[in-house]
Amino acid sequence: MGGIISTYTFWTLWLFVHLILALGLLGAITHQAMAVALPVHKPAPGIVTRFRAVPAAGYATTVCVLYVLTFFVGSYIYTQYRIAIRIPLESAHYYKTGGFFDFKEHVATLGLVLLPAYWYFWKNAQKPDYDNARKGVTLVIAVMVWFLFIVGHVLNNTRGFAS
Amino acid sequence: MSTAATASKPMQPTSSLAMSRRFKAFALTFSISGTVVYCLVQYFNYPLFTYWPAVHRFVWGFGASSADDGPNMLWYGWSVTTILIASALGMIATVIPEQTVRKIPLWLVWLLPIFAIPYVIYSLMPWWTLAARQ
Repeated sequence: MGGIISTYTFWTLWLFVHLILALGLLGAITHQAMAVALPVHKPAPGIVTRFRAVPAAGYATTVCVLYVLTFFVGSYIYTQYRIAIRIPLESAHYYKTGGFFDFKEHVATLGLVLLPAYWYFWKNAQKPDYDNARKGVTLVIAVMVWFLFIVGHVLNNTRGFAS
Repeated sequence: MSTAATASKPMQPTSSLAMSRRFKAFALTFSISGTVVYCLVQYFNYPLFTYWPAVHRFVWGFGASSADDGPNMLWYGWSVTTILIASALGMIATVIPEQTVRKIPLWLVWLLPIFAIPYVIYSLMPWWTLAARQ
């Protein structure tokens, strides 16, 4: 990396960027999913109630942008994962870990293709015809994002870039 | 209207894209077909391209791993193939009459990805088989 930072530091920094974007996405989609799954019908004290009482429609574009950014940064660091991490994992017989990463890549693409309909449903949140579809797709994306995050986190604990 | 509904539901769409009938047709078709297309592309192994990260080699279509070039990566190619096909189907849907678009079951958008998960797990059987042999 031009002698400024080591290769490991370079990839670890990108992994960190991926993490920060993923955390933002996780927070936004979890707020929104809670708001549609457990709507607040009257104001009440408590952090859980306030967590559910967010203006959920306002999160839609942010969720889409964060998902796409996280997807692209993840796609970029995936090249290094394939060489520096997956091969040692296979050598050490961490097959379930490797399998779950491949599971993660499929889920990431399946989530990506949902975004246009998700965005459309939320931008037309005043139409009751879309209520069930909006709730369903939001919950599916939320479960996907949590799955992607947990698998990525466990995999990094198993063998990070600088291991 | 409840507090939550007031908070989470704007009264009007906030962009012209959100009010577009053609975008609705595109978005629904893209998202519904995208899930199915990805599973088919992955099952039949039709990546638009293959990439070998160790040597930065790129070829159109499928290419196998080799001792010289190292491991191949197909996921990029599968994803791009899926996006292109789903986009094409979405574009076609924009010229379909609105009455037909209204008949598209909206629940397919969220139910198909759930149905796709068992297939995805099955497609990863080589990993699970190796893990079970340990």
